[in-house]
Amino acid sequence: MIQILTGIQNTSAALDAERTRLDVISQNIANAHTTHDVDGKPYQRRVVVFETALQNAMTSDATSGNLPAIQVAKIGRDTRPPLQVYDPGNSEADAKGMVSMPNVNMHEEMADLISASRTFEANLAVVKNARSMAMQTLSIGKH
Amino acid sequence: MIEALFNQPNYLAAKKTLDAVALRQEAINNNLANLETPGYKRVDLAPNFEQELEKASASNDVQQLSSLTPTLAVDTTAKASSKDGNTVHLEQELMHMNQNAMTHSLETELVSNMLAKMRLAITGK
Repeated sequence: MIQILTGIQNTSAALDAERTRLDVISQNIANAHTTHDVDGKPYQRRVVVFETALQNAMTSDATSGNLPAIQVAKIGRDTRPPLQVYDPGNSEADAKGMVSMPNVNMHEEMADLISASRTFEANLAVVKNARSMAMQTLSIGKH
Repeated sequence: MIEALFNQPNYLAAKKTLDAVALRQEAINNNLANLETPGYKRVDLAPNFEQELEKASASNDVQQLSSLTPTLAVDTTAKASSKDGNTVHLEQELMHMNQNAMTHSLETELVSNMLAKMRLAITGK
């Protein structure tokens, strides 16, 4: 098929991946105080792992389609230990009054959130730019 | 015979630059898409294209000009900004993109004007 916006598939793949990342960050923030995850343990922070489908292969004769596209490889778990918080009134507290809270660090999540939304915006800018370039190309010869 | 109309060195050079700009846009798209991919190395136009285009247009060599094809290559001069080995820098990439868009406007304008001039020469209006 004719490609007017060349290489836009990779941009949309990136937008997709960043959207997943934003979803995971919001999940982390929402679960910042969940002491009972599905497995009964405190919630563990989730991290998105990105990968490229075709890492820098064949770039020497690259035409559209064989540049590596980004994708989400997996959503992993942050294995840092849970935070121990002193809260004797909590029903989850142990004999010493300590509660295991999720290893979610709000500052870290906010920084991650900004970085993800900036990347998202950058990719949107690419789409806008590609579109205006395509419009200009289509108007070649109209004078 | 009509070929000769479209084989002027300037026109060819503008056409080749447009090809290169389109390809470069693809490279930049991809770099920005992989902004967060660990170990990704940024790609850009192979540096020899610009030199060859310059050489060919300086010597007005039509043969050489029309045989030029832009290619992409991994940018070996770019440095990794963080420990994950990714060599894409957001601001630089956006700047390259804007620069590329401006070059594209210039070249499309140039090609359009050349065609308009040719039309004027043929039809007289």
